[in-house]
Amino acid sequence: MATENANLLFDVPGGRLAFGDGDLDTWAEHLTWCYRMMGIGHGATIAVQDFGSSPVSFLGSSLLMPGLQRGVAERLDGRFICLDASAERVTLTPALLAQLAVDALVIREDVIELLSAQLRKKEFAAPAQRKMKTIVVFADEPPLFNAARLRPWRHLMHVESALLLAPQCASCECFHLREGFYDVNQRIIRNLRLTAPTYHLSRGELLSPSHCAAGSRDWCIALSPRERGI
Amino acid sequence: MRDTTSSCARNDAIETLSGAQLTAWQSERLREVANHAYREVPFYRELWDRAGVEPGQFRSIEDFARFPTISKHDLVQAGDVWSNPHQGSVAFSTRGTSGAPLLVWLSAEEEEAYIRPTMRGFRWAGFRPGMTALLMSPVWHRLAACEAHAIARLGGRCAFFWGSMGSEYTDSFLHTLSAQRPEFITTTAPFLLSLIRLSHGSTTRLHELFKGVRSVVVVGLPLTPRMREFLRDRLQVEDVFERGGTQEGAATDECQRHTAPHVHEDVCYLEVVDEAGVHVAPGSRGRLIVTKLTTAGSIFVRYDTGDIAAFAPGECACGCGFRRLKIYGRPESSVLVGDRLITAYDVRMCIEEDPALVGRNVLLIREANARAGILTVAVEGEAHDPAKLQGRLREELGVATVHLVWLGELRVNWGFRQVLDGSEVQLPRS
Repeated sequence: MATENANLLFDVPGGRLAFGDGDLDTWAEHLTWCYRMMGIGHGATIAVQDFGSSPVSFLGSSLLMPGLQRGVAERLDGRFICLDASAERVTLTPALLAQLAVDALVIREDVIELLSAQLRKKEFAAPAQRKMKTIVVFADEPPLFNAARLRPWRHLMHVESALLLAPQCASCECFHLREGFYDVNQRIIRNLRLTAPTYHLSRGELLSPSHCAAGSRDWCIALSPRERGI
Repeated sequence: MRDTTSSCARNDAIETLSGAQLTAWQSERLREVANHAYREVPFYRELWDRAGVEPGQFRSIEDFARFPTISKHDLVQAGDVWSNPHQGSVAFSTRGTSGAPLLVWLSAEEEEAYIRPTMRGFRWAGFRPGMTALLMSPVWHRLAACEAHAIARLGGRCAFFWGSMGSEYTDSFLHTLSAQRPEFITTTAPFLLSLIRLSHGSTTRLHELFKGVRSVVVVGLPLTPRMREFLRDRLQVEDVFERGGTQEGAATDECQRHTAPHVHEDVCYLEVVDEAGVHVAPGSRGRLIVTKLTTAGSIFVRYDTGDIAAFAPGECACGCGFRRLKIYGRPESSVLVGDRLITAYDVRMCIEEDPALVGRNVLLIREANARAGILTVAVEGEAHDPAKLQGRLREELGVATVHLVWLGELRVNWGFRQVLDGSEVQLPRS
């Protein structure tokens, strides 16, 4: 992805993101929309276990990135907890979750197994776990079913290199491709607001707009429960 | 080496204040912070009421020493009563190397205060407008979050590699390094050392990838002079700077004299005290106590970090009036041998006197019986002049007996942890 006047460069799996003035706010606004679509609203405390070079992390607050006027925390008037996704940091998460009640724990799919094991080991209190909504972030490879894992409450599809963020809808359980933000042609998805390579959807069923009242003009991606790791 | 006089450019008026002026300025900030903490943070009000002190009694900076010190355990236990109404909306975790991790809050106002010293430290390290900086992850540490803001304000570009600071992400780091060709890098010393070790014997020629890098700024491990030379030599970068800081508010950066990192006295008030809580003279080691000079974010007043540190005596030739502080280690990077607390830094200083041993990972093994007066050190690689090394360690560290364990082909990850309990490992004794 090339942007003129880019002064923020991020290497991500399968590509590189370059952001110039104003780009980050466009992207943060969309991520906030994703959270709302998943049922995370005003005043929420969101803990994110992801790498710092992932937009899910660095769009969390304007404190994390220059050029970002309002991150997710500012847009939701909420709080943002930075939990790096390195193995060393994942082991600390149970103790941190015991100190602070979070509304949503957003976690990379590839470290959820480690966290689940740590939570079991540390006997993380069940009531706190029930209150906390776990959102699992996956790329184009949907998570596999694993009974030993922390049970996901929702999923967030995130293909970093294509600037594709599609939240799992609380109503229809499909992944919404926001109207006006993405264009869908056959199985090719294109970001309309930010410059990024197109993405070819290889899995799931594409449902045309009017499928769901929560976003009646959105295209949706339907993944079977098995494909969603349930 | 580049010209140091021009690069040590002093841009802040506060850097040139006299000692007395700086003390007066800090006293005023400390009074503000203490008043705020007493008024707004129940934890401090209750603590100070119990101790019979209150901010109104605060007349001079010496009075401040009467306020009790606090520990991480105190704050973890305190929970919500430690909350500051102005603590902000973003939290970071401490590393949890000394017990439970602690969530530390950052607000926009506090970050603004810390961006200024970050810019200062980067200028000292040679950052110039138009440069590209390859930075640590902004979610890794509260101070790392300030780095990208500082670079942007200094007129630079920020690049980030995919992943985190563990040795499993060195390839990703090298990929970005080779693609972005930054002139400036911030990272951790353990990460760089892992990078050097992993590239040993491979076709990757590190210095070619680092070509064009002028400065590397490292955190996470106190640099010995020979370790700095080793990093400069292996990476063939112009200079390597040590940056220090804690989630609790301490912030230090080296100038180009490399005598010891300067304390950013406009954001934190640091003390070094002995076991009785009395300030020690510059040059003497003690425990590091941190007070943040802002009423925003999580409030830390006389926080005992557990770090072992010493102020450097005298003034720095660079002309900056800020005191210089070297942090040598923490309890978890030290072992008690008899009645002496030996840090991993001390041991590395001795070991690195032998050029063949510079850059090898060194681990201290904590013995079950500290009173036995035995220092056990595990050193990476094959044995090299062990009798001489044992003698040097005995003499310079003042311990009766030294056991050396040569790890041979066994590779131990460079990390922030430099001590293992004897019960954790079964190592052959040489």
